[in-house]
Amino acid sequence: MHAIRRGTHVSTPRFVRRSISLATVAALAALVATGAHAQAGKLSSANVDKPDFSGIWDRDTPPVTPSARTAGGSPSAVTGPAFAGAAPPLKQEFVAAYQAELKRLADADQRGEPVTSQNTMCLPQGMPAMMLAIFPMEVIQTRGQVTIIEEAFTQVRRIYIGEEPPPVEDAEPGFYGHSGGKWDGNTLVVDTVGIKTNILYRNVPHSEEMRIHERMRVIDADHWEDQITITDPKYLTGSWSWTWKYKRRPDYKMLEYVCEDNREFADPVTGAQRMRFKDTKAK
Amino acid sequence: MIRSKWVRRTPALLVVTFALLAATVARAHHSFAMYDNEHQIKLKGTVTNFQWTNPHVYIDLEAVDVNSDKKEKKSWVIECANPGILNRVGWKFNMVKTGDELTVIAAPMRSGEPGALLKEITLPDGRVFNNGAPAGPALIH
Repeated sequence: MHAIRRGTHVSTPRFVRRSISLATVAALAALVATGAHAQAGKLSSANVDKPDFSGIWDRDTPPVTPSARTAGGSPSAVTGPAFAGAAPPLKQEFVAAYQAELKRLADADQRGEPVTSQNTMCLPQGMPAMMLAIFPMEVIQTRGQVTIIEEAFTQVRRIYIGEEPPPVEDAEPGFYGHSGGKWDGNTLVVDTVGIKTNILYRNVPHSEEMRIHERMRVIDADHWEDQITITDPKYLTGSWSWTWKYKRRPDYKMLEYVCEDNREFADPVTGAQRMRFKDTKAK
Repeated sequence: MIRSKWVRRTPALLVVTFALLAATVARAHHSFAMYDNEHQIKLKGTVTNFQWTNPHVYIDLEAVDVNSDKKEKKSWVIECANPGILNRVGWKFNMVKTGDELTVIAAPMRSGEPGALLKEITLPDGRVFNNGAPAGPALIH
């Protein structure tokens, strides 16, 4: 700061220096503040008098019959069908590879040598899987933005109200993409692009042209639903849709989740999930 | 004829597809297929380390398989759910300590290595905790 002032002193004519008075600085500051306020004001109108999704939510799913004797001996597999929704309408040329991949994973489970998932590597689920809300999910609705935080892996997505997502060719790929939202009556309509092509939901392949279209609707004070529709002109013959519902989890404070030290790891040769027995922390 | 054969096969195809989808969705987060849920074991031993971290909590346990003919002490690694799930079923970050004598029911690794997925833990004061719903219940006691 001092260097800048000194440089200005040397090179600026006296009459200019005099004109930069305290009043001018104050006026400039006011202009900047007004501009920022105007921008915030424009965005702020977007969520006014609209349903509020704010709160902590759990997934709300029809009950399934618990059984420890399901696919791969995995008790958690019982939660599968309830969340599976319709089958993806893959183009014919991709069906065989997709089925083969599912079989490879199922066979590995049957052998007791499960193939590692991205979560084993401490990578988050990304979109749309984070909306499964495998752990509690917080929604913070501010005037121009809806922010969704999933406790698992501290996944965060930001939906900018009143904005369109960028064109696909300009959308930098990420785990959560770029989301723009607008209100259709009392339904929040969200479009998302820019999901990394290696971030898969249900192992369904997708291209950089995948779009996630969501219609978020408050059902009552303690429930809301997200109707999700995936389109991808490269991989899908049509739209792939399902609905996830959420119920309020009262009196809950979100917990920290830093994926810190997974003693499960991917075998460097087979890719199978293994266990590290050595306790490195204590050494 | 072709149509009727297709109709007859459809339920079987649906079942297969459904099973594959179920396995896939489960794997999306975590697979427990390393563990043999149908042959659970009961271990008694001493905690040598308690690791309260994401994505899993681990208990290192010098323990004996009480139902095994060999009363051999081994260094077991007991995989638990994550701190969030455990908090929600009543655990506390400091409720297990190095030196504690524990009894655990767990699903051993199918590989035969001394690792296991926790189903139920009994603390020195007699309190019993499970490992949260995703890990499944204890089938023995």
